[in-house]
Amino acid sequence: MTKRFQLRVEKALNDEHLGKALGHARDGFVVKRQNAIDAFPEFEQCREQAAKIRAHTLAHLDDYLLQYVEKVEALGGQVHWAPTAADARQIILDICAAEKAKVVTKGKSMVSEEVGLNPALEEAGYELVETDLGEYIIQLAHEPPSHIIAPAVHKTREQITELFHQHHQALGYTEKVTSIPGLVNEARQVLRQQFLSADVGITGANFLIAENGAGVIVTNEGNGDLTMSLPRVHIAITGIEKIVPTLDDVSVLLRVLGRSATGQSMTSYTTFFAGPRRDEDADGPEAFHVVLVDNGRSQMLADPEFHDMLRCIRCGACLNHCPVYGSIGGHAYGWVYPGPMGSILTARYQGLDHEPDLPNACTLNGHCAEVCPVKIPLSELMRGLRRHQNAQGMQARPARWGLGLWAALAQRPRLYRMISRIAAGTMARAGKQGVLRSWPLAGGWFAGGRDLPKPQGKTFMDVWKKRNG
Amino acid sequence: MAENSARDRILADIRAALRTTPADKPPPPAAIARPSFSDNDRFRAFVQRLEAVAGTWEEVAKAADVPKAVAAYAAQHELEKQVAVAPALAHLDWDAAGLKIDTQAPAPARQLGLTEAVCAVAETGTLVLSSSADHPTTLNFLPEYHLVVMHKDSLVTHLEDAWQLMRQHHQVWPRTVNLVTGPSRTADVEQTIQLGAHGPRSLHVLIVA
Repeated sequence: MTKRFQLRVEKALNDEHLGKALGHARDGFVVKRQNAIDAFPEFEQCREQAAKIRAHTLAHLDDYLLQYVEKVEALGGQVHWAPTAADARQIILDICAAEKAKVVTKGKSMVSEEVGLNPALEEAGYELVETDLGEYIIQLAHEPPSHIIAPAVHKTREQITELFHQHHQALGYTEKVTSIPGLVNEARQVLRQQFLSADVGITGANFLIAENGAGVIVTNEGNGDLTMSLPRVHIAITGIEKIVPTLDDVSVLLRVLGRSATGQSMTSYTTFFAGPRRDEDADGPEAFHVVLVDNGRSQMLADPEFHDMLRCIRCGACLNHCPVYGSIGGHAYGWVYPGPMGSILTARYQGLDHEPDLPNACTLNGHCAEVCPVKIPLSELMRGLRRHQNAQGMQARPARWGLGLWAALAQRPRLYRMISRIAAGTMARAGKQGVLRSWPLAGGWFAGGRDLPKPQGKTFMDVWKKRNG
Repeated sequence: MAENSARDRILADIRAALRTTPADKPPPPAAIARPSFSDNDRFRAFVQRLEAVAGTWEEVAKAADVPKAVAAYAAQHELEKQVAVAPALAHLDWDAAGLKIDTQAPAPARQLGLTEAVCAVAETGTLVLSSSADHPTTLNFLPEYHLVVMHKDSLVTHLEDAWQLMRQHHQVWPRTVNLVTGPSRTADVEQTIQLGAHGPRSLHVLIVA
């Protein structure tokens, strides 16, 4: 295990606030999703179709992208292509400069996190305001999001109270607010002014529709809508894989997205935006830009082993059902995307050696793949990463040796049976009260601070033989 | 990087990638999977789902009765008598109901805003609103109390039916189409749902028979 990953994990496991916050979140998300699916008998059929729609679109990605682009341009929108993260940042900096912007509001966008947009805008001197409540909280705390749909899920109410008190005093909010409605209200009041004074609004997009050139954002707070409709300029930034052929296809994806993410059959606001405001429109932005980000996606598309990962619709269900994520939280994963989907995206976009522990920070329990609304075989992909690591000699030495030794034994059944018989007998005598805290010859480190159930003293093979006489 | 070369580079990379994958491209699914309920239950399903997301509603006999209903709602919630109204509804007799209206966009800070839905979807209790000269999109988000006029005969069963209507009505897709399902909400503080995040705290639908 790399030192830095170990330190992050230890920090997370020893953080009482985090444990409390993650406990809240996990139970909430899992139960809400289950209830929503229980109330929707067609869910499995929908999921099957959602996976097919995504696979079909990716197989014709160039055609659908061009259809979308043609439609957007016909409506007066401007399309920008960003092969890399640096290109995406530059495109948006150039637009803000050309518009002489001062205040930039932002809706929630994981792709903007991925390309490092915020620091670039702040360094260039723009007043940048995250408007999603969770994003706003972590902006005040100078932290990255720890969850793809609930960015501040690691923060407790007490911590938010302190943050608001510290940052809003100067604005005349001198009372410490501790209630949830009070905190939400205060943020609403503080941010309302920013919405109205922004020159440029930046949002992500959950989908881009080839049929009509519309982008879609799926939200609950209304901040995304204020961000894209009040400023002079609206910029949407998203990945090239977010294309969907038709409105009917989007309907199927929406049916599985909300239920998988928050247990909602439909979020409060599902908004379609296409080009800038029309000449006769009462409101809306005068200019509309869309930034299509590649940043490793076309490379992943070329990889038959991993291209299924591009089906991901960023619902967060795999995070919510992952016992490892639930113990260590999102920050321990070391890059923008956490949890099972994050382990795979980090390895593919940043390189296998960027965070070599991630493919192994997984119990292979398979729950993530079971809940994935577009049926990405996440456990299989994780095993694939481990195979690559092994082939490249990237695994830790003890693990490599251990596996090598086990493989040698497993190929020699008689020797294997003999050794396991000796081991079972020795270990049965070594433990106390049915558990093992330390291993014969290996001390306490192998059990890793856990209690291992003590073997019964006989191997399965022996018991089986005896039973079948 | 020049725009065209960036575009060409990404498209070339995608095409090269697609050549490496198997030739049998997955076709799109044939049928649409969606929740089923009978058309007779459509209205009941709609209001049930609307209530489930903390929306409220009342039936209004005819469009001319809308100002009276809005005035009653404002009085009940102790709101100011100056309300923001979509230009599409400005022709109604607001004076008789004792209300003053603003129709400019974006709406000034009014507590109550009234807009009009293109149609509604029973499947999810959703209102479909579309931006135009007479229908400002910001009016759906700025006021604390969002009231929406919905015509009972515009209720459809599934999302796909709403798209069919939109395709018939709009040669060109509007700048903004808002699917509104309940008032705004957030669960960013301790995963506890709180209504009225940045958008309206309340959503009330006036269903015109």
